[in-house]
Amino acid sequence: MSWLDYLDWIVFLTLLAVGYFAGRAAESRHFASIRKREKELARVLAFATKYPPAAHVPQEVRLVSGSAVVGSDYFKQFVAGLRTLIGGRMKSYETLLDRARREAVLRMKEEARRRGYRLIVNVKVESSNITGGNRGGLPAVEAFAYGTALKPVAPAEPDRAA
Amino acid sequence: MRLENRAPEETVNYADEHPLKEFALLVIGVLGAIALGAALLGFFAGELAARVPFATEREYARGIAERFEQAKLTPAQRETRDALRALAAKLAAAMPLPPEISVSTHYADEPTVNAMATLGGQLVFYRGLLHKLESEEAVAMVLAHEIAHVRLRHPAAAMGRGVAVGLVLSAVSIGAGRSLGGEAVQRAAVLPLLKYSRDQERDADQLALGALVGVYGHAGGAAEVFKALAAAVPGEGARLAILQTHPLTEERIARLQALARERGWPLDGPRTPLPPALRPAGAGG
Repeated sequence: MSWLDYLDWIVFLTLLAVGYFAGRAAESRHFASIRKREKELARVLAFATKYPPAAHVPQEVRLVSGSAVVGSDYFKQFVAGLRTLIGGRMKSYETLLDRARREAVLRMKEEARRRGYRLIVNVKVESSNITGGNRGGLPAVEAFAYGTALKPVAPAEPDRAA
Repeated sequence: MRLENRAPEETVNYADEHPLKEFALLVIGVLGAIALGAALLGFFAGELAARVPFATEREYARGIAERFEQAKLTPAQRETRDALRALAAKLAAAMPLPPEISVSTHYADEPTVNAMATLGGQLVFYRGLLHKLESEEAVAMVLAHEIAHVRLRHPAAAMGRGVAVGLVLSAVSIGAGRSLGGEAVQRAAVLPLLKYSRDQERDADQLALGALVGVYGHAGGAAEVFKALAAAVPGEGARLAILQTHPLTEERIARLQALARERGWPLDGPRTPLPPALRPAGAGG
């Protein structure tokens, strides 16, 4: 069978096409969801400042965090692989990391909201490659966001007639 | 002070550009450069290797020659080999082969439908191919084709190319890692080598046809060979010429017929039946 001679090409091009279409669909869906939830969670504020705004003291504090792992696709890896030869912006991975960071921040905010917090300060975002770099690629990244959630102490019970 | 988280700026952290644009630029740019580099390197390495004196090549390939020479042959196999050698000598004289170049023909009693020329003028004719051919002219065309490879120093050139491109490729692969990019680079670098291989086949075909006509007075054996080869590997119509080591059968036949017409050689003529030594013995196939 002659087409068997091209099996490696067929497999390669199929993986490339699957990576492209599936990866792109997943990415645009993820971005749409991120933008929607960013609006929903806009009332939970997150800042990088170390010091809480004056209005929020005294307060109740708590560590909140969120992490997200996003996988690459065959197409992204292929493009990035060629990019390693000549250098430059790895555009195919930039969206991947952007998604991971924003998703992690959203999950951190989600945790804060569920616990009744509306403000997070000292927010930090870290990322790591979780595949140990085998095959020289970067098939999945993790972003981890954490910060200190603050809540004004519940206002004192209104004075009762004493 | 009013505190607020605004929506992030969407154009800073990533480019809002169609991913296929970068893909196309990289494939054309990087893979194109690799293919061009491999083509140039392959060209010079091949030219250089083909200028190594034949005696040096023969010395280098002594191990290959010894393996063939020391193979134990049955009397029938030896008879076949000697018949092939006699035919090869006639064709070499008609080509003609320069005095410093010589060929040693071997017969391999194996079902492979093939014949090959390797370093040091070592020719191997496999039983599988011999038994698909029906006239002495066809056997002669195969031998002449392989002798032409040796005469044109193709095995040396191919090895020079392979070594040079392989070395550089392994250096490039260190940069690309064993990544998908590295895989693509390998594929890109092999394309020009395949092109050189097809060119060698065409050149060998042409030189061989001249020798064939010189001995038999017509070009009749050539088409028979390629048809037998094509029949042995069905489905050739679905092949992409650019990915093959050999030109496609139809093209080879058409090219040789055009050459014969141009030189005024008869396209066909009386065929010589195969001598008994070259005829299939027993149930071999």
